[in-house]
Amino acid sequence: MYSTVLSGALLGVQAAMVLVEVDATNGLPSINMVGSLSGEVRESKERVLAALKNAGIDIPPKHVTINLSPADLRKEGTAYDLPIAVGMLQALGFFQKANAEEILFLGELGLNGEIRTVRGVLPIVREAVARGVKECIVPLENAREGAMIPGIKVRGAKELEQVMCFLLAEGKEREKILPVVTVSASELLQEKDPFTGNDFAEVRGQEVAKRAAKIAAAGFHNLLMIGPPGAGKSMIAKRIPGIMPPLSLEESLEVTTIYSVAGLLGNRALITDRPFQSPHHTISLPALTGGGTIPRPGIISLSHRGVLFLDELPEFQRNSLDGMRQPLEDKKIQITRVGGNLTYPADFMLVCAMNPCPCGYFPNRNKCRCTEPQIKHYAGRVSGPILDRIDLCVELHAVEVTNLHGGYLGETSTQIQKQVEQVRQIQAERFAGTNYRFNGDVQAADMERFCPLGEAEKNCMERLYEEMGLSARSYHRICKVARTIADLAGEERIRTEHLLEAAMFRPAQEIWKM
Amino acid sequence: MNVEQIYYAQWLLSLYELSNKAIRIIQEKVPDPNELFRLPKEQLEMFLPPQYAQVLWKKCQEGLRSHGSGQEHVKCLFEALERRGMHFVAMGQPEYPARLTKIPDPPLGLYYSGKLPSDKSLSVAIIGSRECSEYGRHVAETLGRFLGERGAPVISGMARGVDGISQQAALLAGGESYGVLGCGVDVCYPKSNQKLYQTLTQHGGILSEYPPGTPPLAANFPVRNRIVSGLANAVVVVEAALKSGTSITVSLALDQGRDVYVVPGRVTDRLSDGCNQLIKQGAAVYTDPESFLEEIQQTFFLQSMGPKASVRPISGTAPALSSHSKDSDEGALGPTHDAKDDAKPSEPYGLPERLKIIWRVLDHTPKSVEEIQKDLSETISVQECTIRLMELVLTGKAKQVTTGQFVRQ
Repeated sequence: MYSTVLSGALLGVQAAMVLVEVDATNGLPSINMVGSLSGEVRESKERVLAALKNAGIDIPPKHVTINLSPADLRKEGTAYDLPIAVGMLQALGFFQKANAEEILFLGELGLNGEIRTVRGVLPIVREAVARGVKECIVPLENAREGAMIPGIKVRGAKELEQVMCFLLAEGKEREKILPVVTVSASELLQEKDPFTGNDFAEVRGQEVAKRAAKIAAAGFHNLLMIGPPGAGKSMIAKRIPGIMPPLSLEESLEVTTIYSVAGLLGNRALITDRPFQSPHHTISLPALTGGGTIPRPGIISLSHRGVLFLDELPEFQRNSLDGMRQPLEDKKIQITRVGGNLTYPADFMLVCAMNPCPCGYFPNRNKCRCTEPQIKHYAGRVSGPILDRIDLCVELHAVEVTNLHGGYLGETSTQIQKQVEQVRQIQAERFAGTNYRFNGDVQAADMERFCPLGEAEKNCMERLYEEMGLSARSYHRICKVARTIADLAGEERIRTEHLLEAAMFRPAQEIWKM
Repeated sequence: MNVEQIYYAQWLLSLYELSNKAIRIIQEKVPDPNELFRLPKEQLEMFLPPQYAQVLWKKCQEGLRSHGSGQEHVKCLFEALERRGMHFVAMGQPEYPARLTKIPDPPLGLYYSGKLPSDKSLSVAIIGSRECSEYGRHVAETLGRFLGERGAPVISGMARGVDGISQQAALLAGGESYGVLGCGVDVCYPKSNQKLYQTLTQHGGILSEYPPGTPPLAANFPVRNRIVSGLANAVVVVEAALKSGTSITVSLALDQGRDVYVVPGRVTDRLSDGCNQLIKQGAAVYTDPESFLEEIQQTFFLQSMGPKASVRPISGTAPALSSHSKDSDEGALGPTHDAKDDAKPSEPYGLPERLKIIWRVLDHTPKSVEEIQKDLSETISVQECTIRLMELVLTGKAKQVTTGQFVRQ
């Protein structure tokens, strides 16, 4: 007998429908699998057989052929175990064809018949809905994730036996065996734990750096922090996601999809916090940008809509950093491998930290004995094109002990977040109908339109241009940062004082010219 | 000294392997190059150590092969040097700086491009650390500029840090400066001073006792320091750590009988330890360019014109800085303030009060925005503070030294 069962394959953050065909005929008993399968899919045969046996189902000796269609699409992962098992059961006549029709199956099988979690449930379910599929059965742990997508009944199964019972049952009985899982995404977002983690108020002193972090978060500008060890660079970086506006539902689904594809979702239904990734400086290029025969998302994609923090920037391998050049411009990364051509989103805020010199204490000449060429060499290790994409630089200084003891507490993360949220509203209105989302995105060609300067301001910029010996690029960067500062101040027009403040936080390209 | 002798001296000096002492012996024993070139090796060994004799004999043979006679060879080499825009002056020539003849172990000749420093003008050597602080930079710049304006040449080693900064400042102020190198005059070391090197050849000179093409060998630098101090009437040490090349120059300068002035620093600054140590040992203290110049002028005129000459300031010594009487509105400068204190920066004129309060807390040691804000008498936000600081930068009254640190300009 011939049977078909629906399943899905991952293509980056997209998905495609896969039809699992099983044909069982009389003949020499054997099971053959075809359809461009990777190793783990081919092994699926053994898992399915053992799982079926341990679920108490006897498989009669038949000549079975299994095809995963479209046969030219490379199949990867363990999610085909369950659909193959269901297909075999159907082909061998255990239940009526109609009972499994229009249901999508995903799940890995244990030898004991247990159904285990798989990657990428969210994008596959989304694709299924787009194709008009009305029902799906996924591992119980992934059910909440799948239920994020409206318009489809998502059921979570723990055992192969349950699925078997479900397929044999009819109508209302089915609901009892595998109830439909429902989760409301918007509720999840609202119910999200109030911000309890790291708070900005815990950072003592460093008012200038905190100000820079606020500006950077408000306008989605990339930020570079320079300072001696122990000044609080990492501390500030860790707190930046907490002052960015909360994820919108759309953003949250984007982030969840990436984490789902990467298999990092666990049993969370939705990622509600902005991602914060802080890779070690030994990270390789594929780990950073994404890689593998069928490429998986790299750190830059896992930082999508959040913060990518690179501590000890000069220690990173130059080629790894250079791999971020295109994603920093395009907000996505295209990875081409033999296995396919994939695009992952990578719209992140880059926050970098570094010491000013090899010993870390320059310009404190009592501690720092680095020579000028040594300092230049150290700074020169940072790839120029990466620096070129950083709008703000801020210097941190060793914290004085008086700052560490009690005293003045700065703004809390919640307070800052409110201001940042307001600036985001302003930007949403400003950029309505354009491709831009934040001031940090604006390209040189649109500067006149979005960051217009008055006469006095132009005059001020000219003087800055001469005084600081700016490049044309840096000129625009200062204007963009000034735009955000003006937005923070609630001003419609960019004023001289905004330009001056923006100029103090020089674009990274300018700092070693001093 | 005739031309032939100069050619001969140049050739001997261009043999980097020979010591000054050996060259002197050769000049004494064999005054004629033609004769020297024909001498067999054994005879050279009679008055020279064998390794020197070997080198010399080989060079002589080479010279004979290329030009036939010794005289011809040394002449051709000298002309080649001139063609490349470099000059040579031998000790004994009238152009040779007279000041150098009085120091122990004077260079037997000097290669130079540009000019040679004149003996008539009073010149000052400014030396100090390569890794100078913002304070050192400021003092070196101020003194260099001041001397440049007054037409007193600045002598230094064209190194990174204090050397280069003071020379650059003097040249920018329209003055003259001379750089004494530890490598050939056609070698620019350090490379980062390429611009300064170019300017020096036009408004001053590059000097070296080493033949053109000599690489910057570490051993050459302490030796050239004797020329730096030798060419100057006084030596100013701007910033020096305890163990540094600067201390070598200072001891050489003292041997040569030069006045050594030292810029005092804070006792907590490691880069001023060397200076403070010198002061402890009795060196003269440099406080401001005006009084410094006045003091050394007196010594200079006493020395150069004999006891009968009258002591008078050279033209332009009258305070050029605008008098403070108009703008010292609050009398903040205190009762000790008199005409001599003009070198102290008076409050900038025409600055609005909101910027002045910031300017007052600025210093020549870099301060971070937070420090500046804390030192202010009134409370203003960090943000406001940065804005005002940047305004000061734009008006040229302050300087942003690193992203977060400012100094008074």
